[in-house]
Amino acid sequence: MSWQTILTAMLPEHLLLAGIVVLLVREIAGGKPRASMWLALAAVYAACAAALALALQGYAAAPFPGQLSVAPPALLAKAILLGLAIPVLLISRDEFPDRQFHILALSALYGACLMVSADSFLTLFLGIEILSLPVYVLVLLAFRRPESAEAALKYLVLGGTASATLLMGASLLYGWSGTLGLAAFASALGSAEPLAIAGALLVLVAFFLKAAIAPFHAWAPDAYEGASVPVTTFMAVIVKSAVLLAAVRLFGTAPLAAPLVGVVAILPLVSIVWGNLAAMRQPGLRRMIAYSSIAHAGYLFYAFLGEGALRFQAVAFYLLAYGVMNILVFASLPPDADDAARDRLENLKGLFHRRPYAAVAIAIAMLSLAGLPPFPGFIAKFLVFKNVIEAGYTLYAVLGLVGSYLGIYFYLRVVQFLFMSPEPAGIPRAAPVTLALGAGALCLAAGVVMAILPGWVLRLL
Amino acid sequence: MSEALVLNLVLFLPVAGMAALLYVPRAREDVVRGVTFWVMAVQFALAVWLYAQFDPAIPGLQFETRLPWIPGWGVHYQIGLDGYNILLVLLTAFLGPLVVASAFTAITKDVKLFYSMVLAIQFTMVGTFLAQDLFLFYLFWEAMLIPMFLIIGIWGGERRIYATLKFVLYTAFGSILMLAALIYLVVSIHSTTGITSFAFADLYRSNLPVDVQVILLAAFGLSFAIKVPMVPLHTWLPDAHVEAPTAGSVILAGVLLKMGTYGFMKIGFPLFPQATQLLAPAIAALAVVSIVYGACLALVQTDIKKIIAYSSISHLGYVMLGLASFNLLGIQGAVMQMVSHGLIAGGLFLMVGMIYERCHTRDLAAYGGLAKILPLYGVFFVILALASAGLPTTSGFTGEFLALMGYFVSAWPQFVRGDAFPLVLAVTAVSGVVLGALYMLWLAQRLLFGVLKAPGIESGPRGGQPPPFADLNRRETAILTALVAAIFWLGIFPSEPMSKTELAARHYQQTVTEKTSLSLGRGPGRGS
Repeated sequence: MSWQTILTAMLPEHLLLAGIVVLLVREIAGGKPRASMWLALAAVYAACAAALALALQGYAAAPFPGQLSVAPPALLAKAILLGLAIPVLLISRDEFPDRQFHILALSALYGACLMVSADSFLTLFLGIEILSLPVYVLVLLAFRRPESAEAALKYLVLGGTASATLLMGASLLYGWSGTLGLAAFASALGSAEPLAIAGALLVLVAFFLKAAIAPFHAWAPDAYEGASVPVTTFMAVIVKSAVLLAAVRLFGTAPLAAPLVGVVAILPLVSIVWGNLAAMRQPGLRRMIAYSSIAHAGYLFYAFLGEGALRFQAVAFYLLAYGVMNILVFASLPPDADDAARDRLENLKGLFHRRPYAAVAIAIAMLSLAGLPPFPGFIAKFLVFKNVIEAGYTLYAVLGLVGSYLGIYFYLRVVQFLFMSPEPAGIPRAAPVTLALGAGALCLAAGVVMAILPGWVLRLL
Repeated sequence: MSEALVLNLVLFLPVAGMAALLYVPRAREDVVRGVTFWVMAVQFALAVWLYAQFDPAIPGLQFETRLPWIPGWGVHYQIGLDGYNILLVLLTAFLGPLVVASAFTAITKDVKLFYSMVLAIQFTMVGTFLAQDLFLFYLFWEAMLIPMFLIIGIWGGERRIYATLKFVLYTAFGSILMLAALIYLVVSIHSTTGITSFAFADLYRSNLPVDVQVILLAAFGLSFAIKVPMVPLHTWLPDAHVEAPTAGSVILAGVLLKMGTYGFMKIGFPLFPQATQLLAPAIAALAVVSIVYGACLALVQTDIKKIIAYSSISHLGYVMLGLASFNLLGIQGAVMQMVSHGLIAGGLFLMVGMIYERCHTRDLAAYGGLAKILPLYGVFFVILALASAGLPTTSGFTGEFLALMGYFVSAWPQFVRGDAFPLVLAVTAVSGVVLGALYMLWLAQRLLFGVLKAPGIESGPRGGQPPPFADLNRRETAILTALVAAIFWLGIFPSEPMSKTELAARHYQQTVTEKTSLSLGRGPGRGS
C-alpha cells in the first residue's frame, strides 16, 4: 500500500472529494452560489475522465487489499455513474440554484464510487451509507409539498431496513466463512449450509430492497413522486445504477447455484410483470417512471442469470441505455412553477404542438424504454435476453419477454398523449431551459451512438 | 460495385429525405410535399434501374453489401437483392411516390410530421425486404410499428386511437415471441456448429430437431400470420384499415401485409423445412379459411373501406396457399399475387380515399350511379374491381390463377395416393374466386351504377345542373394511370418479372421440400 497507488487508484474519488471541499469552503466563506454548479460539474467531469482514462489503460490496483480494489470493470462502472451524473447536474440548476444540492450530490457520487470498488462488506456498507444519506436529504431539499416529507421518510425507513438486512446477512456470512470479503457471498451461493444460504439471501434481499424489486418495491413510487424532478432522476438513474453495478461485483463471475436461480429469476420476473402492469394506471409521470424502473430492475437482475463473464457488460450497457433515456425524459419535461402540475401526464397532451422537439425527445425516450428498435433500449434488452437464453434459461427468457410486452402499452400511451391528444386549455408556456436542453442533447447523442454503433460501445465495456 | 452503392442509396434515401425535412420550416408545406415526393420518385427510379440490372440467371444475392455491425454477436449490416425481394422492393418504391401524391390535399394537419413518418415507414419497409441478416430484419420489422402507430393515430378517423393501439399491440405480441425464437435459433445453432451468425445464408444450413423446428416455426409464424393476416388473427386489420388515412391504408395494404407473407417465404418456411412439411396441411387449411371467410365478410360490409380490407384477407390467402403448394407454379403465383394485391388493393384504397375527400362518407348506401357524374372515376374503379376479381390480362388473374393451379397440381398426386384433404381445400379455394367476383362487382354496381345518389345530391334526374364535385383531377388521374399500367403490365407480360423471381422460387421449393438446403451463392469471407 503505497501513497502513490492510493492516489492513482482512487483518483476519481479524490477529484470528487476536492470538489466537495471547495464547495464547502465556498459555502462557509460565502460568495455567489451561481458558480457552484459549474464547479460540481467540473469535478464530476474530471472524475469521469480520470476513471475512463484509467480503465482504458487497463489499470488495476488494490490500494487497500481486501477492502478496496480497482480494475477496468470497476473503473468503467465509475465512469458510467459519473457520466450519467453530468446531465443530471445540468437539469438540476433551475430547481437547486444553491450549493447544498451540489455538495450532497457529489457526496452521494463518492459513495457510489466506493460501492463499485468495494471488496468487503465493510466498504460496501460504507459506500451504501455515503450514497444514501445525502439522497435522503436531497428528497427533502426542495420541500414544496407534504408528499416530499412522506417520500423522504419512506426512503429513509427503507434505507435503514436495507442497511440492517445487509449487515445481518454480512454477519451471518462472517460467521460462516470467517471473512468479510465479498467473495464469501459468491461461495455461499454454492453452499448447501443453512447459515450460508440465510446470509446470502439476506444480502440479496438488501439489494432487492435498494433496487426496488417486487415485493420490496412499495417505497419507490412514493419516493419518486415526492421528490423534485432532478432528485427523482438522481434516484432512478444514479442510485439504481450504483446498486446494480455493486451487485455485479458482489455476484462475481461464478455461475449461479441452482437453488438461487429461482430467487434471481422469479422475483425479477414478478417485478417486470407488476411494474409494467401498475405503470399503466399512473396519472403522474414520476410514479409511472417509478413503476417502469421497477420493471427495469427486473430486466437488470435477469442479466445475472447469464454467464458470469458477460454480466458486467450486459448490466453496464443496459444501465447506460436506461439511464440516458430516463434523463432525456426529465430533461425534456416542460418547466412549470407548480411541481405537481409538471408531473401530470395530462399536461403532456398535445405537447407536440407546443414544443415539437421536446415531444419527439420524450417519445424517443419512451419507445426506447419500451425496448422497441431502433432505439438503444432494444439493443440492451436483446443483450440481456440473449445472455439468459445462452445460459439455458429459455423459459425464463420467454416469460420475461412476454412481461416486457405488457409494458409497451403505457409507454405508447405517453406517445399518444404527446402527439394525438388535443392540447388542454390554460397551460402556461414557460421558456425552455437552456441547460436542460444541453442535458437532453447530450443524452440524445449518447443514445444515437448506442443505437448506431452498439458494437463499439460493447467492445469498450 | 456501383449497383451495391445504388442499393444502399435506395435504402437510405428516405432517411436523407427526413434529414432534409428537418431544415424545412413547418409553414412551408409545399416544400415539404415536394421534397418528399421527389425523394420517393428518385428512389423509384433507382429501384427500376436496379431491376433492369438484376441478372435473373445468377442464383442468390446480387448487389450485396456486408459489413460487420456488432461483431461480438455476429451481426452484420447485410443487404442485397435476390429473387425473393426484388419485386417487393420495386413495389414499395413504386407505391412510395403515389402514396405521397395522394396525400397532397388529404393531409392538412401536421404536414411535416406526416411526410417524415411516410419517409420513415418507407425506410423500414425497404429495409425489411433488403435485410439479409435476421437481426437487421427484426430491427426494421419492429421499427416499422412506430411510424405506422403515428400515421394511424394522428391522421386517422374517429376511432383512430383504439385502432392504432390495437394494431401495435397485436403486432408487437407476435414480434416479442419472434424475438425469443430468433435468439433461441441463433444460440442453438451456435451450440451445435460453433458459428454465431444472423445471416440468412448461415441460418438456412441449420439442422434442428423437428420438435424444436415446430416450436420456432410457431413463434415466427405467429408474428408473420398476424401481419398477413391469416384468420383467426385478422381482427386488427379492419379497424386499422378503416381508421387509417388513405395513405396509411395504401401503405398497409400495399406493402405492410406483404411483409408477413415475405417473412413466411424468406424465413419461416425455409428455416424450418421439416416443421413446414409437417404443418403444411394446417397452413393450407388456414389459407383456404382466410380466402373464403375473408370473402364472405367482404360480402356483407356496408363500409366501402371495410369491403376492401376484408378482400385483402381473402387475397392474401392465395399467397399462403401458393406458398404451401411447394410447387414452382404455386410459388411463382404467390409472388405475383403479393405484387398484384399491392397494386390493386392500393389502388382501390386510393379510390375510396378520393371519393371520401369529396363526400366525407364511406357508407356504401349513401352512393349510387356515380359513373354518371364521375365517368373517369367510374372507368378506373371498374378496371380495379375487375382486376381484383381476377380478370384475365390483369395481374389479379396471373397471381390467383397460378397460386390455385400450383396447389391443384400438388394436391392431385396426393388425392391419387388416397389423401383427399388437399384436393378438398383446392376446390374450396376456387369458390373464393367466385365470391371475390361477387363482392367486387356488386360493390362496383352499387357504387357506380343505378340511380344517381351521393351526399349533397338529391336523388332523381338532375337537369343540366353541374355536379357538386368534380371528376378526377390530373394528379389523381396520373396516380391511377400509373397503377393501372402496372396492373396490365403484370397481367399481359408476367413472364418478364417472373423470370427474375424464378431462381428464388426454385430455391424456396428445394429448401422446403428437401431436407438438405442449398447454400445461397455465398461470397468469400463469410460465416465467421
